[in-house]
Amino acid sequence: MVRASEETMMDKDIILECSELAQWFGDNKVLFDINLQIERGQIVAVVGPSGCGKSTLLRAIVGTHPARGGDIYVIDGEGTKRVVETPGRDRGIVYQRYSLFPFMTARENVAIGPVLDKTSIPGRIFGYFKFREFKKTVLEEADALLTRMGLGHALHQYPAQMSGGMRQRVAIAQALIMRPSILLLDEPFGALDEATREDLQRLLLGLYQENEEARAQDVPAPHTIFIVTHELNEALYVGDRVLGLSQYWDWKGEGLDACPGATILYDKAAPIFDPDGQRDFESLRAQRAEIRALVFEPETPTPRHIHVTYSS
Amino acid sequence: MVRQPIAPRWRIILGIVSVIILLLGYTYLSHKQHQTNPTDTTIPSWSQLADGVAKMVEVNARSGERWLVVDSIASAERLFLGLAWGVIGGFLLGLFMGCFQWIAALFVPSMSLLAKVPPTAALAVFFVLVGTETPMFVAMIAFGILPVLAMSVYLSVLEFPDELLHKAYTLGASHFEVVWSTIFRQVLPKVFDAVRLQIGPALVYLIAAEMVVGDVGFGYRIRLQSRLLNMDVVYPYLVILAAFGFLMDYGLVRLQRLSCPWYEQARRR
Repeated sequence: MVRASEETMMDKDIILECSELAQWFGDNKVLFDINLQIERGQIVAVVGPSGCGKSTLLRAIVGTHPARGGDIYVIDGEGTKRVVETPGRDRGIVYQRYSLFPFMTARENVAIGPVLDKTSIPGRIFGYFKFREFKKTVLEEADALLTRMGLGHALHQYPAQMSGGMRQRVAIAQALIMRPSILLLDEPFGALDEATREDLQRLLLGLYQENEEARAQDVPAPHTIFIVTHELNEALYVGDRVLGLSQYWDWKGEGLDACPGATILYDKAAPIFDPDGQRDFESLRAQRAEIRALVFEPETPTPRHIHVTYSS
Repeated sequence: MVRQPIAPRWRIILGIVSVIILLLGYTYLSHKQHQTNPTDTTIPSWSQLADGVAKMVEVNARSGERWLVVDSIASAERLFLGLAWGVIGGFLLGLFMGCFQWIAALFVPSMSLLAKVPPTAALAVFFVLVGTETPMFVAMIAFGILPVLAMSVYLSVLEFPDELLHKAYTLGASHFEVVWSTIFRQVLPKVFDAVRLQIGPALVYLIAAEMVVGDVGFGYRIRLQSRLLNMDVVYPYLVILAAFGFLMDYGLVRLQRLSCPWYEQARRR
């Protein structure tokens, strides 16, 4: 698979690139030859069978468990291309649980990002008054962001006082206030009830709308999102591009003795939904069936590359 | 049915009744003892106890000092210095053990072992190493509570979720900020809990050491007066010790609630 050159990377405004990514733990081979380019403004949803390595891929991108083989590149806030080795402020993350710091209120949780990033502990002590001013500004920004997300009444609540849906909303705000190059979500709504999940999916669609508005004004799209989910409907509803990661591929046909790990078998566009419109999952039935057959079926190993046809 | 709730006023009434029974039981014992021996001082009557209080509060004829005052100053100094060293040392060690695996690997074996050695049995060790004055008491209390506290804090830090750790780094935190602004703040209420549990043992080590060594302090006074069978002084001293322990515990709970207002809610979940 040809790796994109520096030029095309800038042309297509690629935010994240995985090049021949592989991951294994001892004898356990998890990921194999992952090649992926995510452009600015895309909402990429990753689906796959349980345990195929979706979360492993996400952790490699975050940088907490770096990949053993291959490289991951990300364009940071200043536009420099960097290799991913450790977590950084250019990749925001929202986890399924333990999403907020329990010892801070909602507004403090959202404000902690800029405080941690822009100040140091000695700076907060010796430049106390300047820090106090800065903190006030950040808290106001946090209040504005949370109010926009419908949490204006919960600014001073602690996570233990909030519902699961509220907590995930605050966690998304906490990540977004940092304006990361890419926002990563690891099955963020898995622990929530159906109605709350719907609300939060609409929230992500709202972010996509903001992207569209920015594109219309010729401004770079602000939100690039990478979401791991086990819910096929959610992936197709929220994402504008769906990836299928699976270990059920035709490695025998390529001459290998054993499965070297999961790889991307499916990469196609998904329809774009209006957050205020109907959730019509009927229209997704054909694509759902296609993905199920290609990605989730152990009985029918899919050859690689054939269904990796996404183009922006 | 198990765990059937009772009305709050019953809780109060039963509590008061139990204290009254305690006091009445003591009065009865004292009365019985005085019937056998009218000049008894081992289970003092209430008037004898009042005399005992007077004895420790008034200026003593022979030494020219008030027992309560000198004993309080001596014991308090030893206790607070010992607690300060033990708590600060134990907390810092536990925090760093939890944050850095190589520190944990270095210290867990020794801390686990030291936590099992009764400091009262090792008194002679402290004599040799630190002498027999105030530093000895401070060292004994500090080494008595430090290993247990360090292990306690270490285990609390281990409970800090990985997700929050990774998230802190993605929010631009430095290593120092991760330890100080996130891990420490989350672990703080558990540190208070651990310290509360160590107040009792610290008092035990102090009193035990004062009973063996020294010429002033609560332990010394209690032992001396016990040998002289002056229980009318000993009982008030015991009451003061109990009240002190109660106040320390209450003070720590208030401090915990003040500095960690979020903890009550989190615990209930």
